[in-house]
Amino acid sequence: MTAPAGFLDPALLARIGDLSLLARNVVDGFMHGLHRSRRVGLSLDFAEHRSYQPGDDIRRIDWRVYGRTDRYYVKEYEADTNAAVTFALDASASMDFGTGPVTKFDYGRFLVASLAWLSQHQGDRVGLATFSGDLLEVVPPSTRHLRLILHTLGRAKAAGAGRLTPVLERAARLSTRAGIVVVVSDCYEDPAQVQHGVGALRARGHDVILFHVLDPAERDLPGEGAATFEDAESGERLPLRPEVLRERYLVQMNAHRAELSRRLGADGADYVPLTTDQPLDHALYSYLERRVAASRVR
Amino acid sequence: MGGLGFLVPAFLAGLAALALPVLFHLRHRERDRPHRFPSLMFLRRIPIRTAQRRRITDWLLLLLRAGVVALLVAAFARPFLGRAAAPMSAVPSRTVVLLLDRSLSMGHAAVWAVALDSARRVVASLGVGDRIAVVLFDDEAEVTQPLTGDHGLAAAAIAGARPSTRGTRYVAALRAARRIVAEASVGAAEVVVVTDLQRTGLEGLAGLELPPELNVRAVPVVPARRPDAALAGAEVQRVPDGDRSRLLVTARVTLRDRPGGSRGRLSLMVNGRVATTREVALPADGAVSVAFEGVPLPQGRATATVFLEPDALPGNDSLRFVVPAEEALRVLLVAAAAALPEETLFLERALGIGRAPSFAVERRSAGSLDARALRGAAVVLLFDSPVPGGAALDGWIRDGGGLIVAAGRRLASRSGGSALLPGTVRGAVERINDRGGAFGEVSLDHPVFTPFREGGAAALGAARFLRYARITADSGAEILARFDDGNPALLERAAGAGRVLLLAAPLDAVSGDFPLQPAFLPFLRRLALHAVGYEPSPLWRTTGETAFAPRSLGNPVVATPTGALVRPAGDSGARPVALPDAGFYDVYEGRAAGEPALVLAANPPTAESDLTVADPRELLLGVRRSDSTRVERTGPEAPADREGRQRLWRLLLAAAGLLLVVEAFVANRGWRATASDVVPAPPERSLS
Repeated sequence: MTAPAGFLDPALLARIGDLSLLARNVVDGFMHGLHRSRRVGLSLDFAEHRSYQPGDDIRRIDWRVYGRTDRYYVKEYEADTNAAVTFALDASASMDFGTGPVTKFDYGRFLVASLAWLSQHQGDRVGLATFSGDLLEVVPPSTRHLRLILHTLGRAKAAGAGRLTPVLERAARLSTRAGIVVVVSDCYEDPAQVQHGVGALRARGHDVILFHVLDPAERDLPGEGAATFEDAESGERLPLRPEVLRERYLVQMNAHRAELSRRLGADGADYVPLTTDQPLDHALYSYLERRVAASRVR
Repeated sequence: MGGLGFLVPAFLAGLAALALPVLFHLRHRERDRPHRFPSLMFLRRIPIRTAQRRRITDWLLLLLRAGVVALLVAAFARPFLGRAAAPMSAVPSRTVVLLLDRSLSMGHAAVWAVALDSARRVVASLGVGDRIAVVLFDDEAEVTQPLTGDHGLAAAAIAGARPSTRGTRYVAALRAARRIVAEASVGAAEVVVVTDLQRTGLEGLAGLELPPELNVRAVPVVPARRPDAALAGAEVQRVPDGDRSRLLVTARVTLRDRPGGSRGRLSLMVNGRVATTREVALPADGAVSVAFEGVPLPQGRATATVFLEPDALPGNDSLRFVVPAEEALRVLLVAAAAALPEETLFLERALGIGRAPSFAVERRSAGSLDARALRGAAVVLLFDSPVPGGAALDGWIRDGGGLIVAAGRRLASRSGGSALLPGTVRGAVERINDRGGAFGEVSLDHPVFTPFREGGAAALGAARFLRYARITADSGAEILARFDDGNPALLERAAGAGRVLLLAAPLDAVSGDFPLQPAFLPFLRRLALHAVGYEPSPLWRTTGETAFAPRSLGNPVVATPTGALVRPAGDSGARPVALPDAGFYDVYEGRAAGEPALVLAANPPTAESDLTVADPRELLLGVRRSDSTRVERTGPEAPADREGRQRLWRLLLAAAGLLLVVEAFVANRGWRATASDVVPAPPERSLS
């Protein structure tokens, strides 16, 4: 069962000025449509026993079982991680583009706010880092920083040239504890460089989800007739005819997305492509799936 | 339909503006607001040739814009469709219009044969498929052979040509050639003029418009010497000789290139019989007057001819004229009953002097002016006598009679008038104290004062008037003269076909000295002639002119010099009588029998005997070359037709407006419109 689309449609969300209200509506609407069974428990629930293996913490040996069986068994539980979730939002000028009701940056803000709300209500600590060429604003992960995050998102502006790789490398050094890093960007960077940045996060034990946000116009390159295109970040201009270049552009774009998916998947990161005309539930599902997988500790 | 033309072709220079849409189209992208795009990362990787960016990429838009400019320019140039034209396949390779001069001067023995040979050579020079038209001209043009490819017909038309006795007008011939070419709708045409290039025929050429494709070429047929003697005119007088009259004729002969010391014989023929002959010495060049001795004239009208011995140009060797019958105009003089004989003495004596015409004065009483008395009268003169009542006089005047009322002291004392008169007598003006009044403002242009135009006004001013009637002019009256105090002296009013004149200037020697002045006789004679509407008929007319049969002839028939009988056609008024040939024209009433009612003499124009040759280049001197002649030469065109052929500009403007609408639609079909139409894709439902 899915959530009602009305709660998740970006066109409708764009009318809600309050990010807090927006996030609560999104999450409530989203959660209302889920089966209860799909709600993965986050408390200390017993899972199973297994035989003691050299190297296991002896504190985890179940002595009661030992008393009855004279064998060492170790108890295993569903983990309750209280994980730190850091949202990295691309605030470069290229994100300030939209041919529909919302820009990519707005879509990213909605997404981050919703995910932060969701994470907060699941007991996670949430933090935020906005960036373009460098880190712009950083909100450290905390269970009490949701309002600060929403406030920071509310006043964030998209501007400047973006550089994803060094920013991710710096973000990796912000926290010594492993957590979840959610990256929201349009990824106008070489996939190898993106992989390098994500690799830095993975090396520090972070689980990484990269939401690749695109506008439909970036995906399809519509338009007829001669026109001059201007790069939103560099200001470079290029006279061209979209209908002539469309086919080759789509090949390049699809190859770029496929390469990102392949490289990030190879590093154990999740790659979720999104377009701003898509409802937010797809992103929320992707996030929750990754969150569940990350919370299961054996 | 014919070709397409433009009323204002200068506007076609605006077609240079067609370059603007191209430049605008090529530069449009660079000036256009750029489309902001997140990143050109992928677009940069796609190779794009610069030439591809520079070349015209939107041909539809370019053509639309160029079409708008072209349509606007064409509309402002006011295009029009030509009139119906012959198909191109029918256009021959060469078109020639042969203009053969057949005026009197071409009849010279040394000229006409050469002219015919020249014309035949023109025909012989034509190739197969060439067309030729033959036009014979003198002072008029006659198309004897329209454009034809049968050269034999043209040769026959030339063979049938004969010199005429008329003058030369090249303008008539060139107009005929222009019309032929225009009606045939051929392109270039050659006009060959075979002529003796008589200078007097060039008159009227200035201002003639010929299309530029009409090539005019003169073929002069002028011998080195053209000896000729011509009768250029004559002075004719009928003088009384006892009970009969005699004819005195002095002929004027012009001479050119004649052998010196030669003698010539001139004869005067009256009513078909040679009356007298004179042999005189004629100089080689110049002019000489030859006076014939008086010839007894019979009663009535006589026809006379002065002729020379025929020479190389016989057409101008004779001069015909008509001596009118001795006629006397009846003047009915009605004097006041109390008038003394000496009061009208000067008046009667003055009218009795003079001939051609003479006046026959009859004294009448006012009561005797009935219809019978008025029949045959020319003028009724009321001397200080009131206008008698009755319809007879009024009807007579309206039928063409003339009434003169001389107001004296008796009429002034009555202080009255008549509805017939142009003014009302209101007493008398006494000018004794200032030694008499005089004529003041006088309309010298009026026929009454014709004798006083050339310095004769002083003679009028010499007359003194001690007493005259004070007249107030009625509406519709014309004041021909005033006294020096401003009072009208002579008034006129038309009444039907006749005239009524009211004279305040006294005609007796008691109230002034006018009868004693030299101006009195010519004034009174002209006054009477004007009252009756007398116009002397000319002794002869010129060939090519048109005379008019008098109104009294209800059904005139004209016997021409060639022996043909012609019945002049016309409206209820005067019937025109054409005079194409030299000779006598007898005009009969009803049928050509008995004594003709009118005889007209026609002679070649005197100028035609002037054989001075012009330079061939003068033939086109003053002729304008203009395309506009194409329009007018095909004859008058109805305004609706003309408007129909010129209304293309409206269609062009409408088409330009339509193209602008399409252009606006096409020009806005680009990136922005399409991008804004992106429809959000339905949400992916990968999880359920």
